[in-house]
Amino acid sequence: MSATLLEVRNLDRRYGKVHAVRDLSFTMERGQITGFVGPNGAGKTTTMRIAATLDVPDSGDVEVDGVSVLVEPRQARLRIGYMSDQFHPYPNLDILEYLDFFARAYGLRGKKRKDTVQSVARFCGLLEFKDRPATGLSKGMGQRLHLAKTLLHDPQLLILDEPASGLDPRARIEFRALLKELAAAGKGILISSHILPELGEMCDSVVVIERGERIVSGSIQDIQKAAELEQAIVARVNGDAEAFERFLLVQPHVSDVVADGSRVRFAFRGDDDAMGDLLARAIGQELRIVEFARAEANLEDIFLHTTKGRLQ
Amino acid sequence: MSSIEAPPLPESHAKPEPSKRWSRMSDWLNPILVREVQQAVKGRVFPVTVMLALGISVIIALVVASEYVDGQTGRGAFDAGFATLIPLVLFIIPMQAYNSMRTELKGGIVEQLLLSRLSPSAVLSGKLQAAMVQFMLYVSVLSPLLATSYLLRGVDLPTIAISLLFALVICVTATAFAVSSAAQGVVPALQPIANLGIAFGLGFGTVAMVGMVASGGYSMTVGFLMRSGEFGMVVSGVVGVAILATTLSWLAARTFLLHAFENKSTPFRVFLFLLPPLLYGWMLLFVPSRFWRELFPIMSVILAVVGIIFGVFMVTEQRALSPRVFAHVPASGLRARFMTPLLPGRDRGMLCFAVYSALLVAICSLVGALSPVRTFGVFSDDGITGGLMALTYAFVYLGAGRFLRGRLPETVQGNHGGRFMLPLLLLLCCLVPVLVDVVIRGEPTRWHVGHIMNPFWTIDEFYNRGGSVISFCLITMLVMAAVQVPAMLRGTSEVRQASLAHQRRLRAKSEPAPEPEAEATE
Repeated sequence: MSATLLEVRNLDRRYGKVHAVRDLSFTMERGQITGFVGPNGAGKTTTMRIAATLDVPDSGDVEVDGVSVLVEPRQARLRIGYMSDQFHPYPNLDILEYLDFFARAYGLRGKKRKDTVQSVARFCGLLEFKDRPATGLSKGMGQRLHLAKTLLHDPQLLILDEPASGLDPRARIEFRALLKELAAAGKGILISSHILPELGEMCDSVVVIERGERIVSGSIQDIQKAAELEQAIVARVNGDAEAFERFLLVQPHVSDVVADGSRVRFAFRGDDDAMGDLLARAIGQELRIVEFARAEANLEDIFLHTTKGRLQ
Repeated sequence: MSSIEAPPLPESHAKPEPSKRWSRMSDWLNPILVREVQQAVKGRVFPVTVMLALGISVIIALVVASEYVDGQTGRGAFDAGFATLIPLVLFIIPMQAYNSMRTELKGGIVEQLLLSRLSPSAVLSGKLQAAMVQFMLYVSVLSPLLATSYLLRGVDLPTIAISLLFALVICVTATAFAVSSAAQGVVPALQPIANLGIAFGLGFGTVAMVGMVASGGYSMTVGFLMRSGEFGMVVSGVVGVAILATTLSWLAARTFLLHAFENKSTPFRVFLFLLPPLLYGWMLLFVPSRFWRELFPIMSVILAVVGIIFGVFMVTEQRALSPRVFAHVPASGLRARFMTPLLPGRDRGMLCFAVYSALLVAICSLVGALSPVRTFGVFSDDGITGGLMALTYAFVYLGAGRFLRGRLPETVQGNHGGRFMLPLLLLLCCLVPVLVDVVIRGEPTRWHVGHIMNPFWTIDEFYNRGGSVISFCLITMLVMAAVQVPAMLRGTSEVRQASLAHQRRLRAKSEPAPEPEAEATE
């Protein structure tokens, strides 16, 4: 089994005069969560819909587990779970009946269908609300039900279009935990969202597109390095933070030093050797550093740095 | 799925519970049917209408019991019972299907369904099956009343059976029409038309039918029909028309559910080619031979008109095959060639119309040649020439439509634009010369060459006068039709390329992948 789960190859799609996707290529591996990031109208939804067999490219192709969505859409659909940004459940059905209906639609029968519905409902935390009507759910519960429905046929690739929009912080955290579990189970997840800090926390890699073109792709750290972006470093000193701040202000590769109590945050543009030298000099100056760590990779910085906010 | 564990299941009982048995049986049913039944049971409309029907049948029974007159009361009970059934099958069930389909289209639910193993046809089939289940339930509610009408010697069993058959046919056709109308909601501009169409269509149909049944006219007509020799012809004709209408509604609904890049045309084109054998076959099997001479030309004209209407849609499609349809053209050259007129695209649409026209002309010529008496309609020389002229005009206008469509953007909106422009062109070609005559001569007195693009008047003129001008027209029209040949060849060539591409893909798949180069080792 190849490690590549999704391969987008030279995808091109026009809608009249609008060139929605231009020669877009990227790959994604199993068990990876890939953030699909771009400004509004960048071509994210178009790409996701093509990958989900709901649209066709003018040229290029998408392969899911080696199956072309253009040539073998039915086979590809068995491997894909697509969660659109809209969710409208049926009236007069409770949660389990709703899931049961979609399980039937996916061709599950008998005991397997019942077991799958139960286990998916349990996984998504819906079992205790199983008798609730599917139409009267909160946004967070609705998204869980939507995700549960997407998981019924055990797809290898999940394509999630803005799944966290409109969710409150708790629901977002719970949803994120579900996705991490799914990735740990070997599923590939392609997710688009405008909530970049959250994507940054859960994604193994990102693909940034603008005006239908890929701007950059890879892991957040690699992109930071490639783009020569400053790394944010957070340090905590035991004692005089001002002395450490004064020390940092005259060091090479260092900028934007901000002290806050015993913590000092600063931007660092050098490589690992330079950072090692910096730390050695600080210890040589008898500055009592008790924490020295790279701050969480910041997807927002990458996004702002790589995109220009051009609309089409 | 590895991370989602199944819960511990209870041990199986020796005798399964009824709900489990139902669940197991329902595995083999259409999921849409199962869901619709679940929703109907939990909803309000179905229980309320069942209770209403039950209440009405009790009231009718009480009235029948209180005003019993031997031989007449039974007929009255049947009429009242059947009149109660009509609104249920002609309005309530189709409206339920209409609302259900609209729910399906909300917020992309239908897309989610199409990502599953359900095809648009399965979705529509589920809707019709759900309608039939509801029909059975409503009939069973009213069956005591219908049985009473028989016991009171008001109607015989065949009348009841044929009435229920008609009711079923009406129900299925109306439901297919309703589902098709609801599916048009995919295009927002068509939604008000769909709403109005369904409300007025079903409303008027129900009122008219109830009036006819309640007045006793229906049972009298059925009784008369059953005694006559044309019973088989009429019943098979009604059922046949209903099946064709249902199929057409089904295909239209399917078109709206499918994405623009999927193949929407082929089923319509296959349907078109099935019409001649079905209609002529029905004539041979069910129509007494004394009607054939009159019916054959009428059916041929109907088939030609249907072909032209389909032609308008076919020649105003986008030209090229969508990438997905292109990928699915058969690899076999022979099959691809056979499929060419059936595949989407306006160039192939013209080819399809040409093949269909040739088929009709061949059938008519064959029947004309074999017919012992050549005195009526297409059996006569005038009829054949008139028919040829009509088809040639169709070719010219469809060619013009294809040309106009080519000037519009290659989008679905462009298709709609072409479909609007083609009838408009015909209207202008008929009206403008008349208006010019009015302005120059004061009144349009007689046909002249300026009216040559008016097919109705020109063909009529031929029947009245004949003459060399008409022969010239015919030749001109045939030449103009020949102008379409390059387009048809282009359509064929695209299919050939698609077939070759498919062959290349298959070859690439069957060839073993090149082995990775061995790494240099010591």
